Order: sequence, then C-alpha cells, then structure tokens
Amino acid sequence: MNGGLVQILDGNTFVVSDSRGDIEASLTDPTGLFSFDSRFLSTWILTVNGQRLNPLSVDDLQYFESRFFLVPGTGTVYVDSKLSVIRRRAVGDGFHEELTILNHDAKPVDLKVRIDAASDFADLFEVKDALEKKGRYSAQVRNRHLVLGYERGSYMRQTAISASAPAKLDKKGLTFAVHIEPQGSWTTDVDVVTATGPGGTYTRPKYERGERRAQPNMERSLERWLDEAPRLECDWDPLKTTYRRSLVDLAALRFSPPVSGGSSLPAAGLPWFMTMFGRDSIFTSLQALPFTPELAATTLHALGNWQGSRLDDFRDEDPGRILHELRYGEMTAFEERPHSPYYGAADATPLYVVLLDEYERWTGDRRLVRELEREARAALAWIDDYADLMGNGYISYQRRNEDTGLENQCWKDSWDSISYRDGRIPGFPRATCELQGYAYDAKMRGARLAREIWKDTEFAGELERQAADLKRRFNRDFWVEDGEYFALALDSEGGQVDALTSNNGHLLWSGIVDKSKAKKVAEHLMGPRLFSGWGVRTLAEGEGRYNPIGYHVGTVWPFDSSFVAWGLRRYGFKEDAARIAAGILDAAEFFDGRLPEAFGGYERGVTKYPVQYPTACSPQAWSTGAPLLLLRTMLGLEPQGDNLIVDPALAENIGLLALLDIPGRWGRVDAFARGRVDLEPRQLRRQGARASTRSR
Amino acid sequence: MEATTEFFNELETRGHEPLLENATGTLRFDLANGKRKARWLVTIKKGDVTVSHANRKADCVASVDQALFEQIVTGEENAMAAVLRGEIGIEGKPQLLVFFQRLFPGPKNSMRRS
Repeated sequence: MNGGLVQILDGNTFVVSDSRGDIEASLTDPTGLFSFDSRFLSTWILTVNGQRLNPLSVDDLQYFESRFFLVPGTGTVYVDSKLSVIRRRAVGDGFHEELTILNHDAKPVDLKVRIDAASDFADLFEVKDALEKKGRYSAQVRNRHLVLGYERGSYMRQTAISASAPAKLDKKGLTFAVHIEPQGSWTTDVDVVTATGPGGTYTRPKYERGERRAQPNMERSLERWLDEAPRLECDWDPLKTTYRRSLVDLAALRFSPPVSGGSSLPAAGLPWFMTMFGRDSIFTSLQALPFTPELAATTLHALGNWQGSRLDDFRDEDPGRILHELRYGEMTAFEERPHSPYYGAADATPLYVVLLDEYERWTGDRRLVRELEREARAALAWIDDYADLMGNGYISYQRRNEDTGLENQCWKDSWDSISYRDGRIPGFPRATCELQGYAYDAKMRGARLAREIWKDTEFAGELERQAADLKRRFNRDFWVEDGEYFALALDSEGGQVDALTSNNGHLLWSGIVDKSKAKKVAEHLMGPRLFSGWGVRTLAEGEGRYNPIGYHVGTVWPFDSSFVAWGLRRYGFKEDAARIAAGILDAAEFFDGRLPEAFGGYERGVTKYPVQYPTACSPQAWSTGAPLLLLRTMLGLEPQGDNLIVDPALAENIGLLALLDIPGRWGRVDAFARGRVDLEPRQLRRQGARASTRSR
Repeated sequence: MEATTEFFNELETRGHEPLLENATGTLRFDLANGKRKARWLVTIKKGDVTVSHANRKADCVASVDQALFEQIVTGEENAMAAVLRGEIGIEGKPQLLVFFQRLFPGPKNSMRRS
C-alpha cells in the first residue's frame, strides 16, 4: 500500500492505519477498520498524556497481524524516551489490540492513556467518491462498552469497543489512568467488534491475549497453504522470492463469500477489492490452477450460485450471465449502486466455461463438471442469446444502466481504452476482439465437456460447428490487412477499431487465430511497438492514444503479459513466451516479488527499472497470479489425459529450475528444466529438458 | 397478497425447477402482516419442489414483511438489496436463499437490447 500506510486483513475485514497504528480518516482518506464494504472505525488515535506517539518500527508479522513500536513525543529527530509503547493488532471479525507500555525509568510514572474512537460508517464507494450520509449516527456507553452506531431505516451498523483494563468510557473514546513502577509495564487488551442488521449479533474477536498461534478466518492456515503448494527450486534466487511472495499474497487474497460454505476464492485486490469479481476471480484461478486448484473450484461454485437468471437493466443482468462484482455496503443496499450483484462484464461468462474445462483437465474432477452442467450451458446460451447485441454473430457490450453501470465491460475498462489508431473513440455497442476469442474457446471447451462428461454428442457437434464458423468470420472481419494484426474491436457499424494492442495475445491464448496469421501476430507482440523489454504494452507505441503511463493505453500489466505468454506457447512460440516471462520476472525483482497492477510502458533500455503505475490496490490478485502462470508457461506444463506434459523453455539466467509436487489428476508430478533461451530476440537455441513423474 | 400466493402456487404446480437442481433443503418464508404471519415452506430436493404452509423447522428461514415480499415476487424490489438493507432476516443457511432468489422476476420494464 502507498504512503506509509499499514494494512492487515482477514477475508473482507481489514484495517488500514498509519505507521503509528492510528486511524484518522476523512471521507476521502482511506484509513479505517472495514468490513463487508463499510467502514466501522474512522478514528482510532492513541495518546499518552495528551501527546501523539512516534513510530520507531512496524512489524508486519502476518497479513492479519502487525506490531507497532512507539515512543511519546512530537517528531523530533532525537528520541530519548523513558517510555516505550507497543501496539500489537490482529484483525479477524473486528480486531484485537494488545497495548503495552514499558517504563524504562528508575522512577514510577502516572500516565493518562487515551484512545479516541469514532466511525463515519462510510460505504467503500463513498470513501472513493466522498458522498454525504443519509442516516443517523449514535454513540452510547453501555455495559462497559462504547457502542458507535449508524441507522438508515432497517439498515444498521454498529461498532462496540471494550477493554480488559479499568477504563473510563465516554462517547468519544476510552481513558486509562495508568501507574507504572520503575522498569515495570502496563498492558490492556482492547477489542473492537462489529454488528450488522437489526438486532444483529456482534462478531466475536478471534484473537485473545497470548493466542500466539491464532489463525485467520480461512479454512487453512498459511503454513499448510504453503506446505501444500508445489515446491520450487531454482538457481536464480529472485524467482524463489517472487514465488513465495505470490503464494503468501494469494493466501491473503483468499475470500470466503458468505455462501461458499467456508471455501475461499481469490478476491480481486487489497484492500478495496476484497470481494467477488467475476473476471478477476476467474483469471486468477486460471493462473493458479497448477498450484492451488481448489481456488478454481470455489470460484466456479460461487459464481455459478450467483449466475444471472432474469433481465434487470439496473444490474445489467441477463439469464446465464456471470456477475461482475458483488458488494455489501450501504449504497448497494439502497440501490444507489447496482452491485447486488452487478453483471456488467462481457467476458466473465465465456471465461466461466473456459475455467470449468481447464479445471477438469488439471484435476479430473468430473463431479463438479456434472454439478455445474446447467450453469455452463446457461453461460454458453448467453453468448448467443443475449451477448450478440448487433446481430452480427459477435459478443458486444453496451450498458443498460446508463447511470451507474460500466461503459467498458471488458478488462480494459477505463473510458479511453478502446480507440482507433488515430485516437478516436468508437460509440456503442463495442465488440472487442478478445471477447470473440473467449467465446470461441468457451464453445470448443464446452464441446469437449459435452462430449466427454455430459455425454451429449449432438450439443458438442453444434458447439464445434458454431466455433468453426466464428473462427472463420473472425479471421476475416477483424484482420487489419495493412497492419497484419487483429483489430481491437468492431464498432457499431461493423468497422474495425484498428489500434494495435496486447489483446492480440489473448487471441492466441483462445485459439481463435488462424495458424497462417499467428506468426505475424507473434511478431507484433514481440516487436518494439508492443514489447517494452519488461512485458507487453496494452497499446502499441505510435498509436494515437499511446501513453506509457496511461492506465490501459500503454502501460504493461503483468497479468496481461502472462496470458500473452500462454498464448504464444499455444501457437508454439515458446522462446518468445520465455522472453516475456523473463521480462516480467525481472521486473518483479524490483518490487520484492510483488508485482504491481501495472507499470509504465517505457522502453526497458531507457529507464533500466520498471516504473510503477500508482494504484490503490496491492497486492492485486491477477498480478499475484502472473508469476504462477509464467512458471507454467516456462515449464510448458500441459495436462494431456492423465499425464502432465513438461516441455520447458526458459531464459538462460534462470539456470536450473525444478517445480516439485505439482498436484493434478496424475497425483503429484515434478518438472525440471534448464534455462537455455538466449534473451536476444530470435537467436534461438535448442531447449533441453527432462521430466519425471511419480504418483502418490 | 395475490402475487405471493400465485408465485407459490405456480411453483407447486411446476413441481420441478431446473434453476434449483443443485439445491436440496427446506426454506421457509415467514411473511409478517401486522400481527398476522403467513408461512410458506418450500421443500427442495435437487430441483423437485413442494410447497406447504406447514409450521416446521427449516434449513433456512427468511423473515420479511408481506408487502415487501409481494413487491419482490412482482419484480418491483430486489431480494438481495433488501437483505443488505436488513429488511429480510435470514436464519440458517443463506445458500438456499441465494439459489431460490433466481426464481424472482426482474423489473417489468427491463428489456434486452438485441
């Protein structure tokens, strides 16, 4: 997170504070205790004898726990305090704070220790947009608790604060009269719990004094999570760091939606996107399949449960459509925002079928494929029955919620992301190219599932016919003749939105590209206009709207590049895939293994280091998943029946790489490789590899 | 409360609901109308549905004002938003309600573009 802020979280409950552990939020300032998309504490300030404290250090012990070492005084350079203050905070259904003060002096001290507390109960959307509240606030002291409340009709949120040491409670906080002997210490536990709904029951803090091995809300501890993932051995240390960072961050990003029976799926990003997103959860589950396949199972279940079933313009909902985003806050409750859930994504539905098939290919879990047959069929039906807005056989999008719906319903969702070469922006509907690739892939994969698991050969044949027809038309209608690449989109007149973009890589991944065109597409992706040396730019240099630090118009997105690499592998360009992997993994080293959402599209030779794009969320799920997918593409891991094929191509500098105990329908398999790919483009050498398998 | 009665009667008549094929369990709607309370007990077994007024324990109980429920089954109000506002109380397994809400219609004036 940016600017010295400290965040800890557990599921969708999280605390963002400054480096003293204090929370001092304004409507626009993103600190606080948050749960289910509402802020439950916006003020949490510790003073000793009326003075704020200075931070000496912060330990992020775990993603759900941190410790602040503080001393009294006001920001002087030289600190010589006779007092130390330690705040140890663990989040989990509210939070628990252990506050300890040490007296290092030879004399006893008497102190007035104060915690100021308040809450604005802002919706996360309000935190971003700074809106006025419509309900009524309250603060009361009762039964040794300070209870802060907010009510708007039957919508109710409460925060209750209590302490173990004797305290004087008032409506604005807690005061402790503290006496500490020489070389002595004083301590108290402070619990903050939350409640929702009328007569809602309070959460119970999960952490209590001395509970050293307290575990987060998830069904599995971090230790077991790391234990069960494949083990990576490598000559190149940064890759080990990045791999571990990815696994730990993925663990932190696990989110158990209330209907998942305790299983978890990847939320989109920390801290503002700790919720279910169709697109992000699916992409991250795909990236993580070789490592933690159970994330995909939960994603498929949860998104299937919420699959659209009716037409609802406000939510952009259609029967069979997979949701875009689900939120729980006040603005969603009162329909000032459509996220209950909101369905305005055009890619999540075909990608749902893609994930179901890929999941089965890795795990052999036919039971889930049978269980979700109706959902998968409804998703496939959505492509033809609801997504073809222009009647031209292509998926396109145009929001029906003109007020609060999303304009761009593809992953490049900023306002200027879809443009012609000359920078003009097309009207609606828009049929972006990658949507057609996903639709093709969904039909092909749906056909396999229909034939092999649902035993419906007629449906399988029909899907294959449709897919073949789509591919033929697509290669004709989207191919930009004078540039020899695929257009970004078709506009409402059927004309090509002809900018050159990274979307071409997604097309390779989907398999929709004619073999005869693949080489040209790969050359563009690896050419100087798109490949920066670190990764693939979202928009090619030289296009009208190109800007190396434009959100979707020139930056490099690690997630995007990881799918481009997968696409290059699919068409046999494995050395090119290795080059992208090398670039992104080199970039990861600059971020201690935690790839940002995006970094600048500057030429690698010019900046020497990747320039981070300033964003609110880190870690972000699909950036966290990128190194995992790149490991897959470097090793050339591909399920084939009950075997895992290993066909590596990795950069020379990585040296020896081993990924041990890769889980799947084969049991556990090890993959070994030696880096042989010269990073200088197009001087290819033979690859060396061996693979060994064992079952257990 | 005609629409509510019609909604449950139609469900009982259909006897099988494909949208509920992954659901099994009992779901009770306690509909409050002043001091009076109407109960609808829906028993779901892999999509096979029976409806009764039996006052029995259920895996999931949704308590809601009858007038609001009437608006939900006619598409004027959205069930999930009502849950978030605290206007539908849920006890037991929320999964069943998540499945069941698929059967509620969308707003009458919502239409497809194509």
